[in-house]
Amino acid sequence: MQPVKKAILKGFLDMLPLCLAVVPWGILCGSLAIQNGFSAFETQAMSLLVFAGSAQLVAIELMAGNTPLLTILFTTFIISSRHFLYGLAVRHKVIDQPMRWRLPVSFVLTDELFAFSHHRKAYRTKTRLIYALSAGFSFYIAWNIWTLIGIVAGTMLPDLTNLGLDFAIAATFIALVIPGIKNLASLVTVIVAGVSATLLKSTGFELWLVCSALLAMAAGYSTARLTAKKEATP
Amino acid sequence: MMTTILLMACITFFTRYLFLHRALPFKVGPKMQQFLSFSAPAVLTAIWVPIVFLNEDGINLNWQNPYLSAAIVAIIVAYKTHNIYYTTLAGMGLFLILN
Repeated sequence: MQPVKKAILKGFLDMLPLCLAVVPWGILCGSLAIQNGFSAFETQAMSLLVFAGSAQLVAIELMAGNTPLLTILFTTFIISSRHFLYGLAVRHKVIDQPMRWRLPVSFVLTDELFAFSHHRKAYRTKTRLIYALSAGFSFYIAWNIWTLIGIVAGTMLPDLTNLGLDFAIAATFIALVIPGIKNLASLVTVIVAGVSATLLKSTGFELWLVCSALLAMAAGYSTARLTAKKEATP
Repeated sequence: MMTTILLMACITFFTRYLFLHRALPFKVGPKMQQFLSFSAPAVLTAIWVPIVFLNEDGINLNWQNPYLSAAIVAIIVAYKTHNIYYTTLAGMGLFLILN
């Protein structure tokens, strides 16, 4: 197979489990908006333009509650602020690429695509860019199809997230994180992230995601520095 | 409503694009890069662990919690197989049986 076709296929197949894992969320985004008085056009436009599940779900509830515009936008910003980390983390890999690559990559730089971005050579070759865009845009298309299903069938379907199908996203993220635990530093990162995110979120603190991630990164980084020092001084 | 949606779209795109903008005059140094190398496991774990342990009433550490047992099985399968399909199928399968 040609390398381009191969990269497209691999991107699609790697992302497929995540595309399926967000079925409940995509459908919820569609049906919740319709139930709250959004038109079908507005609902689909939200998934097409905003393309950020957690921000969309929160904003739908806020907009339905006649929340002031500034509050909605500020909340969107808080929920989206984790993307700054993703941009920073892939900056050195993508920055030498021309605008026509960087623009689409950043548009589809979701949690899910970022999970596939840690390879040393990610985004650095044309094949890897095509792979990333295939993964990113297949997720985009899937997200919009699930939204459309939610718009059309939403009121007929039960809320799949209440059926516990939100576990699907946990299962896929476990599959992405666990094999990457290769040393003490990454183990510390994962434990600190899990414990601090659960505690902070349970208190209702709005910046729980970014704060627990930064805390975990600091813990992992310090562990890596300390273990490196120990090895250097026998 | 469309105005709000368009403004939201600008915000999410801004947060995704900002650090991929070439005119920003800074370079990520090696220490910063090492720090950022922990961002994927940190953020992804910070998303999935609360799904397992938090419900509407707060933190659920009960062993009867189907999220917990399914997560433990998923972790074992992920560790042994490194395969996203096996992990998701095993985790979801057990979860659906228990729930």
